Amino acid sequence: MKSKITTIMMVLLAAFITLGGTTSCKSKKRLAREAAEAEYKSKVEQAVKDLNAILDDETLWSLEEKEARVKTIKDWNLQNAEVDDLLFQVEKKLARERAQKEEEERNKQEAQSANATLERNFASIARSGSVSQANRTINETLGLFESPNVPVLIIINQSAGFNDYDRPTTIEKYLNYLKDQKISPNKVHEIKYNANGKINELELIKK
Amino acid sequence: MKKIIATLVIALCVVGSAMAQEEEIDYARKQAIDSLALEKVRDLSKYIKIVGSKETPFSEANRVIDRAEELFMSDAEIGVSSLGSNKITYYRVRKYFEHLMRLNYDRVEIEWYNIEYVSDLQRQPDGTYVGVITIFQTFRGYDKEGNLTYKDTTKKDITVYVKRKETQIGGRTIGFWDVLLGDMRVKETTNR
Repeated sequence: MKSKITTIMMVLLAAFITLGGTTSCKSKKRLAREAAEAEYKSKVEQAVKDLNAILDDETLWSLEEKEARVKTIKDWNLQNAEVDDLLFQVEKKLARERAQKEEEERNKQEAQSANATLERNFASIARSGSVSQANRTINETLGLFESPNVPVLIIINQSAGFNDYDRPTTIEKYLNYLKDQKISPNKVHEIKYNANGKINELELIKK
Repeated sequence: MKKIIATLVIALCVVGSAMAQEEEIDYARKQAIDSLALEKVRDLSKYIKIVGSKETPFSEANRVIDRAEELFMSDAEIGVSSLGSNKITYYRVRKYFEHLMRLNYDRVEIEWYNIEYVSDLQRQPDGTYVGVITIFQTFRGYDKEGNLTYKDTTKKDITVYVKRKETQIGGRTIGFWDVLLGDMRVKETTNR
């Protein structure tokens, strides 16, 4: 009788341990699944929030930071319809911004190059050893302009965002002024171009 | 009635304040205008040197005379003196330069120095700033053998007028300072 009771107890204990172990394993899996689901949900929410912020220009991120954020979101591979739709829109927007930025940089480089060319020519005219040499550089420089009568403004003073100018002149007169005075006292401040890429207004500032 | 008087008082205050602001030019702006007027006188000295030089081609000299004329008021006169006479002859600007081109020397050297204000630019009731700049000019004339045949040094006073003006450029209104030179009067001529 005692032996039977012992056997029954052993069987019950084994069953309990087995059953308990199975339940614990199932619970761990559930917890892991729930954690994964929560993480996925959090990532989707974060992605939607960030992508909307980029679309609506509500972030202070630079273009590079925005592009990095989009890459991170794509790497998550969320396979969520809303995120995929936002990603499509944001990528188009960032592509436009990238193209605009590259064009601005190209224009800036071109402007710097034009500034350098003009200032080099100004200095060359002022330093010319002869009238004919100066005239050659003047004619070459005039080729960059829409006409010899393109206005040239010279800023003599800037204060509180307000410019004081000298009497406006024309590019032809200004280039001859450099030849006559043998000095180049101004540097390029701003250049405006016409549709053909010729300069149609030049603003200089005292060095 | 009280409302009308109050409105008039406010309007007068606003106009008065605007006029006061127009009169006020801060130190940096005044310095810039002072320098601009001095620069115009230095420009003139170069033009005189170019036109006076016998090496300057005729076409260049005429172009430079046009530029020089633009520096002056329309009725301005330039005084000319010489050691041999007490008489000072005043010429209109273009006539002065034409006279300078025809001087009977084989080589001419003209130098201006000590260019400075003797009377600072002062604002006049019409808003024009008026001042006087003095210059010293040394003139040397040489014959074809290269001998110095004439030399004098003349002190001259130039009245300068600076006025704020506006013009339209590229659809914008540009406010600028227009510097114009007035009469250039001979003060003293010596053989130094």
